[in-house]
Amino acid sequence: MHHRPAVEIKGLYYAYPDGTAALRGVDLTIEEGESVGIVGPNGAGKSTLLLHLNGILTGHGEVRIFGLPVEKRNLREIRRRVGLVFQDPDDQLFSPTVFDDVAFGPINMGLGKAEVAAAVSRALEEVGIAGMEKRSAYHLSYGQKKRAAIATVLSMNPDLLVLDEPSSNLDPRARNEFSALLQGMRITKILVTHDLPFVFENCDRVVIMSRGKIAADGDSFSILSDEALLSTHGLELPYGFYPVSRHTVPRPSEREVEE
Amino acid sequence: MKHAFLDEYSGLQSPMHRLDPRAKLVGLVALVVICVSTPPDLYAAFAAYLGLELILVLISRLPWKHVLGRMLIVLPFILVVAVFLPFFNKGGGSYNLGPFTVSAHGLLVLWNVAIKSTVSVLAVILLSSTTPFPELLKGLEKLRVPRLLTTIMSFMYRYIFVLSDELQRMRRARDSRGWSGKWLWQAKVIGHMIAALFLRSYERGERVYAAMLARGYDGGLRTIYLYDFGAVELGFVALVTLFPLAARLLAVG
Repeated sequence: MHHRPAVEIKGLYYAYPDGTAALRGVDLTIEEGESVGIVGPNGAGKSTLLLHLNGILTGHGEVRIFGLPVEKRNLREIRRRVGLVFQDPDDQLFSPTVFDDVAFGPINMGLGKAEVAAAVSRALEEVGIAGMEKRSAYHLSYGQKKRAAIATVLSMNPDLLVLDEPSSNLDPRARNEFSALLQGMRITKILVTHDLPFVFENCDRVVIMSRGKIAADGDSFSILSDEALLSTHGLELPYGFYPVSRHTVPRPSEREVEE
Repeated sequence: MKHAFLDEYSGLQSPMHRLDPRAKLVGLVALVVICVSTPPDLYAAFAAYLGLELILVLISRLPWKHVLGRMLIVLPFILVVAVFLPFFNKGGGSYNLGPFTVSAHGLLVLWNVAIKSTVSVLAVILLSSTTPFPELLKGLEKLRVPRLLTTIMSFMYRYIFVLSDELQRMRRARDSRGWSGKWLWQAKVIGHMIAALFLRSYERGERVYAAMLARGYDGGLRTIYLYDFGAVELGFVALVTLFPLAARLLAVG
């Protein structure tokens, strides 16, 4: 069997119905096991690109997920393998209870009662909110909602986790815990965000999108330490923040956890 | 407003709470139908209905304060209409109460409305206070209520407070910028807010739909039902239908 990357995008173009061009020729390949941050100014086409990964939008060009072309006959399998987590957990969590939300994907996959229940408790356990099955999403804290939103795709046992603005609106502690949670998950990840330190913490590779194209692509350190490159594309590191080589600073998951 | 408003106390533990929602739905609806179709002068039958419900309240360990409070919310609406009937309705003889004349027929109508609404409202309280709303929806679904309806109700339950929070944030933003609501030209602002709320809800709808598609949604909303309709459920349905029926027949006898 020849080599099949997790994501393979070639010459992808997309324009919204009103004519706005959102993607103007995107080429991107992501290997299995990678953790990639996609950054860029508002309106660069990041979220639009995400929606192409599981066929919610389809533009001109080629998109393959683990070798499968994103087209109608593969959608079922692709949507199982790609866990897409939206920015606002209130969009992701639409069922009356957390259980129903986390069970939604597995049930759509056609699993039986017992398997669904097992998948739900495993997913909730994995994101650290075990036992909240019966709660209403409305009553969860924002950090818990974010976790529950990830559980809704983990329960489908995805091979690729795609997160839109994972760190937005989280307080520093929740953000830190969330970061540690992500790093504990050994699966291919794509993060779309403005939060450059979060990307630096969580991703080995950074892709800058600008005006519907990939403007830069490289390892986190070399991209994020290139101030001129960042500012060309409307990005900047937080004041006082300067990335140091990965090996000198432990990531949150490697720091000692205090109880 | 608290989210628990709809189904407060539905998380308690009691034999009533453990029942399959289908049994409660079928049994209590049957009780209401039997009650509503009873002629108003079968007083013993109504005593039996009410007695049965009070026993069910006892079994479900609901606080009396909660039950009475809920009844007080609903009853005035019905009673306000009925309370004037004895004065205007003619026929069936009359009684003199100081300056007022009260017709016997009117009194019977008042009693009829009052007792039937009491029994019905109590049945609704029993159902909603012992069954979490999501479980109730699943019960309805299992009883073949069209999925479109239960889906709409489920989204309503999920998003009504998200929406009201959104509205509240908009209000605060508006008032923080000096909106007083005193002037006619400010009325336009309310129109804009309604439009904004509509647009936001519409867009949220689109995002929710995308989130559903992303998890393999194909048009059918499937859920898992955790209850079994067993002997206890059968017993409950038999009790709340057969007992009132018997009481009614005996009262006629």
